[in-house]
Amino acid sequence: MEMRLLLSLLLAGLVSTVAALSAQGSKLLVVLEDESEKSRYSQFWTDLEDRGFQLTYRTPKDPQLSLFRHGEPAYSHLLLLPPGKGTKGLGPNLTPNLLVDFISAGSNVLMALSGEQSIPSAVSSLLLEFDISLPPDRNSMVVDHFNYDSSSAKESHDVLLLPGKNAGGSKKGVADILSVDGILALPHAVGAVLGNASPLLNSIIKAPATAYTYNPKEEQEGVEDVFATGDQLSLVTAFQARNSARFTLLGSVEALQDAWFDTTVQHSAPGSKSEQAANRAFAQKLTGWTFKELGVVKAGPVTHFLNEGSQQNTSDLTTLSDINPSIYRINTEVHYTIELSTWSVDHWVPFTPPASDAVQLEFSMLSPFHRLNLAPTTTPANPNASLFTATFTLPDQHGIFNFFVEYRRPYLTNIEEKRTVTVRHFAHDEYPRSFVIMAAYPWITGIWTTVAGFVGFCALWLYSRPEKERVELKVKEAGGR
Amino acid sequence: MAASTTAPTASTASSSPMAFFLQGETGRNTRGLLRLIILCTIAAAAVASRLFSVIRFESIIHEFDPWFNFRATKYLVNHGFYAFWDWFDDRTWHPLGRVTGGTLYPGLMVTSGSIYHLLRFLTLPVDIRNICVLLAPACSGLTAFASYLFTSEMSDSPSAGLLAAIFMGIAPGYISRSVAGSYDNEAIAIFLLVFTFYLWIKAVKVGSIMWGALTALFYGYMVSAWGGYVFITNLLPLHAFVLICMGRFSPRLYVSYTTWYALGTLASMQIPFVGFLPIRSSDHMAALGVFGLTQLVGAAEYLRSQLPSKQFQTVIRSAVLLIFVVAFGGLVLLTVSGVVAPWSGRFYSLWDTGYAKIHIPIIASVSEHQPTAWPAFFFDLNMLIWLFPAGVYMCFRKLKDEQVFIVIYAVLASYFAGVMVRLMLTLTPVVCVAAAMALSQILDTFLVASAPTENDADTKQANGTPAGANGSIADKLSSALPDTLRSTKSPLVGIYSYLSKSLITGAITSYLLLFVLHCTWVTSNAYSSPSVVLASRLPDGSQHIIDDYREAYYWLRQNTEPTAKVMSWWDYGYQIGGMADRPTLVDNNTWNNTHIATVGKAMSSREEVSYPIMKQHEVDYVLVVFGGLLGYSGDDINKFLWMVRIAEGIWPDEVKERDFFTQRGEYRVDDQATPTMRNSLMYKMSYYNYNSLFPAGQAMDRVRGSKLPADGPQLSTVEEAFTSENWIIRIYKVKDFDNLGRNHQDATAFEKGNKRKKTSAKRRGARVLRVD
Amino acid sequence: MKLLPSVAVAALSLTTAVAAVGWSFEDATLTVQAKSSGVGGAVKEKLSPESPLSDPVTLSASDSLKIVLTATEGTTGRRPHQAFLTLHEPTTGLVESFPFSLKDNGKGKVEFTPKDLPYQLASPPSGVALQASILIASFGTSAPYNHATFTLTLPPSPNEPLTAPETPERYAAKPEIHHQFRAGPAQPPRLLSTLFTFAILATLPVLLIVTTALGGNLGHVSAAFGAAPVAHGVFVGSLLAMEGVFFAYYIGWNLFQTLPVAGVVGIVAFVSGGRALTEVQERRVKGER
Repeated sequence: MEMRLLLSLLLAGLVSTVAALSAQGSKLLVVLEDESEKSRYSQFWTDLEDRGFQLTYRTPKDPQLSLFRHGEPAYSHLLLLPPGKGTKGLGPNLTPNLLVDFISAGSNVLMALSGEQSIPSAVSSLLLEFDISLPPDRNSMVVDHFNYDSSSAKESHDVLLLPGKNAGGSKKGVADILSVDGILALPHAVGAVLGNASPLLNSIIKAPATAYTYNPKEEQEGVEDVFATGDQLSLVTAFQARNSARFTLLGSVEALQDAWFDTTVQHSAPGSKSEQAANRAFAQKLTGWTFKELGVVKAGPVTHFLNEGSQQNTSDLTTLSDINPSIYRINTEVHYTIELSTWSVDHWVPFTPPASDAVQLEFSMLSPFHRLNLAPTTTPANPNASLFTATFTLPDQHGIFNFFVEYRRPYLTNIEEKRTVTVRHFAHDEYPRSFVIMAAYPWITGIWTTVAGFVGFCALWLYSRPEKERVELKVKEAGGR
Repeated sequence: MAASTTAPTASTASSSPMAFFLQGETGRNTRGLLRLIILCTIAAAAVASRLFSVIRFESIIHEFDPWFNFRATKYLVNHGFYAFWDWFDDRTWHPLGRVTGGTLYPGLMVTSGSIYHLLRFLTLPVDIRNICVLLAPACSGLTAFASYLFTSEMSDSPSAGLLAAIFMGIAPGYISRSVAGSYDNEAIAIFLLVFTFYLWIKAVKVGSIMWGALTALFYGYMVSAWGGYVFITNLLPLHAFVLICMGRFSPRLYVSYTTWYALGTLASMQIPFVGFLPIRSSDHMAALGVFGLTQLVGAAEYLRSQLPSKQFQTVIRSAVLLIFVVAFGGLVLLTVSGVVAPWSGRFYSLWDTGYAKIHIPIIASVSEHQPTAWPAFFFDLNMLIWLFPAGVYMCFRKLKDEQVFIVIYAVLASYFAGVMVRLMLTLTPVVCVAAAMALSQILDTFLVASAPTENDADTKQANGTPAGANGSIADKLSSALPDTLRSTKSPLVGIYSYLSKSLITGAITSYLLLFVLHCTWVTSNAYSSPSVVLASRLPDGSQHIIDDYREAYYWLRQNTEPTAKVMSWWDYGYQIGGMADRPTLVDNNTWNNTHIATVGKAMSSREEVSYPIMKQHEVDYVLVVFGGLLGYSGDDINKFLWMVRIAEGIWPDEVKERDFFTQRGEYRVDDQATPTMRNSLMYKMSYYNYNSLFPAGQAMDRVRGSKLPADGPQLSTVEEAFTSENWIIRIYKVKDFDNLGRNHQDATAFEKGNKRKKTSAKRRGARVLRVD
Repeated sequence: MKLLPSVAVAALSLTTAVAAVGWSFEDATLTVQAKSSGVGGAVKEKLSPESPLSDPVTLSASDSLKIVLTATEGTTGRRPHQAFLTLHEPTTGLVESFPFSLKDNGKGKVEFTPKDLPYQLASPPSGVALQASILIASFGTSAPYNHATFTLTLPPSPNEPLTAPETPERYAAKPEIHHQFRAGPAQPPRLLSTLFTFAILATLPVLLIVTTALGGNLGHVSAAFGAAPVAHGVFVGSLLAMEGVFFAYYIGWNLFQTLPVAGVVGIVAFVSGGRALTEVQERRVKGER
């Protein structure tokens, strides 16, 4: 078992270094309803293949479609196109449990939906596991009478036009990975509502404030009650599991079709001129993120050492005598370093956190005693990683502590580096000696005065000659003794 | 030494062929030799009777605390003395750790460590485990010898010492804590206790600094070996105080007491765990106070001898009294102001048996802190218990300083033994001594072969016994008789008829034989089982060993990470540390009540509450003891209420004992059990999958004797990792956080394949919009 | 995110300016019906599509807000596909819409109470008013309508406060923590310690003087050493040596170095001491002491 795992890892490593641009692996499984659909996405496929992915096409009913081989994921990535009309689910080989296992095994999934086709219950129940909820009626789509493509959807208003630079949100401290220039066209999009609790979810593209969902079949006249409106509707959703496996929900599969890659669209707002849709660039970014080409961070070696005595402020770690010790003493100064690098195209480069964000080190027992922002520097020793360092004094509390770097940020893979060390108390001979403490001098002198007095007394006892007249008494005492 | 203690008065009127060996110089030597041989055989018997456990089972360390002592000893042997002194133990009390070197009594470990090194030096490589296993029996031999010396100081009957020695050697009350393998502080401490008392008596008698210093030395050793040293710390001052009050103050007392106190206190302060307690805590204040008192009285006596004026003496007396009162008031003031630590809780629980139950449940929860049941006295001491009062009475008849000591010791010890089971241990020595004194009196009187004759009646007005060994009885009796009697025309006291002699002697002999029989039986059946391995009888009467504990501990040792933290109730902490060598959260050294309460809370709360606690404490495995299948009553469900109480002490509004009782106040585990009970982690882990052993709905708990609900509990945050052969030990692995960020209930529901309801996605209360 | 409404607003301002036919509404009335008061005790306001209400509408916990209007395309009342009352919370930028229920002639109404609002809108930060705008749009070419119509203030209800949901976790940098160290042990003034040191040192000469004054002397040294030179020499020497051992222990020896030496010295002191003291005893017996 371990052996095979090791082997597969090794292979993955080789492949990734040789061909693929993905940091994880190049084997991509595409599940589409039938071969005929394939032609509609030709540009999309070529883009992927140019980026080194090995595509395998399967239909849901294909008997030899299987996500696992020998208990290991057979593919690094999975691309799910919406199943055809009236299908109950994604077939026996793509049950929600299998997909969840696939993700738990570390593989990435890009799922595309379409408002044109009804969504199988299996899909919506799978999405519920990610805390993504779809409209209750299976074929509903998002319309917006304020931001639509007046050239293609003059009547139906169901082709949404959105500024590409908002993709991935424009929040402070969040890495800007997915934004593209230009305007995106999302035809027949399915809007989803994200649960408020989960920090793993992020909405890449939200619907405009004036958008809403409706069911084109039943709600022709007007909407009485809406599932959700405005920017509560997420059109493109990113989910990154705790093991950094990524799942992306693309609300509108048509956005990937050749038809929408190089078409010109015109915003419904009067006076706005027609321009080229930026779908192609966005598709590249989206797949790039989902399939671990973008936003991949990895931790290199972690080192910590006692920053005192001979090895104080050592810059060259190789000269250290005692590195990564398992035990420290309280109130000593410690130096901590972690190497972080990020994946760029085909190699690792030094990682720098986004603006107004910081990699943080927690020195914790039950609760953090220190939480420090680590200062990034680069090292000549390792050109494709950046050092994050901190120097601090251990707390005056003994116990079993953790050097804990937990770097979880939207759109970036998770870093979790924990190093456990013991912090011990002062040994009996490590306290300052009494003769360096001024307050101890009375006691010390007391002791040695007593010693001198004792010696003097002994001498007196042994060698004292009495005056004559006191002989009697002495003798009596002697008798009494 | 043995020969010197008894100086027989050679009598003239005898001419048996044995005379040569029994009289004069050679006679003394013969008796000395005999005594030595007898003592050696007694020691041998003491050691031998403690080897039952090794024969019945194997050479293994017993129940709980010994496992820690064993582990500590190994650390000492491997890392050296100073490393042991500064030992910070990062494998217990995770994640707090324990400053072990500074919070234990090192005497035991250091003793066996030095024995180990001595044997190595003598080129006898012995496994440290065997040394630890056999240390207690070895010490018991020494104890027998010490009690011989002690008793010989008490009575000048030659047989008393030997009787005391053999009693001490085989009395179950002492064997219970010193069988081979019970490697505990008491093993060595009892020897030190008795020997210190011997030295103290010697010091008081002789009044020499040397004996006082020796007392202090062994007192220091005792302090380093057992927390029970406080008993000595309070008993010796009490003795001195009583003597002073009886107007028996003497330079001897002054010298011995002051020497002992000064040196002994210094010695005791060398132990890190004790440190400055002797001058900071109330437990030690009595000694200090009496020390001051002796100074005052000594000064008063001196002045009185100098200037004999009536008024002046009264002045002195009142002055002494005044100063004493003032000093006492000062002490009280200091205690109130907090400079002197108030009495410790354990001390209070000695006086008020209900105290611990209310204030310190941890102490109350320990079984050996329960009050003693009266049959235990007979069980542990057999016939000694009724000889005991007679012996104390004998002390009253000849009330010298040392007899006063016995009386005080007897009173205190018997009270304490009544309060706490484990303090039976401190009672045993005095019982043995007193009983030996009583018995020896009888024997000396009745074991005289020849009748007293008229003519030497006037020379020795007692039963003029010819045999030199009994010659001294004359003086003894005369001294024993009240003056009023002796003032009358002295009658002829003595036993004439051989019938009565043989009758009494026979009766006593049979009693002694019965005693030996009882001791042997108790030792072999009651006190030799190393509660790590359980023994049961099969229908055909053959013994069947139940070894679940070691099975489970070795599973942990071989199948888990060396750093895997194991959470269990504190009883098993030492064993896990010793046998499984895995870090634990809490163990039998219950120094941190809050940490124990945390574990109690985790065990007694719902899974959703327990899981964050376990994650915060980095728990990897949870270990529970379940006796339901085997009818093993010492399991965690029976201890559960203590966990609840201790947790309630810290979190009164989160854990409530009441919730674990049914409406009618019953503690039940069957389908009548309260929801709180059935949702508690402990209940779930104990009964998880249990009914899979039985036909549907037939699941039966053999300890509680109740039928379990048809559908067993479901676990979501932990998964079963191991269950021992007889289900006594069950180990669960704590799951990691869910990969998709769900809570474990939903995750397990999803894996079971039932779809999540849309409504479950909707949260109750007001709707909440997603904010990024 | 903030940008989209502005786009919309820009769009609609243009449309209203340019497009001849556009969506709007007429004879709209807003009613705040307090549950306690009867039919009479209701606040009525007329809403106009051009200008928003000047003063804010207050909606307390027990009230219910109701709007009746007629949606118009151009001048004729028609039913639009989208007719929303949109509430916008300016601090968080959260938006919640309530659809009007409309008839074909465009007449419609919407009604809600604070309980229907999601938590963030139902309890906005104090002093913040919700921006309410009416939004009317439909398929086809006619320009949509989206205007701020009034502002809504929700006074927090004292009797049933809303239970705040726990703030959800979001991955971001947390505030820094620095451990607070305990203060070291306090030292007495150096002057005091030096004073006491010398006071204690002074006792030694005092002792010497007193003893000599009381007639203490070393007159017998010669005699003693004459009688038992070895014993006395070794005894005194061993006494001093023992103190030396203590000093060495204080300076840097460990137990295993100290104990053997101390033991040897002790035995020597014991033996020689015995001899020396017998000599002293002899002198005493001779009455020379």
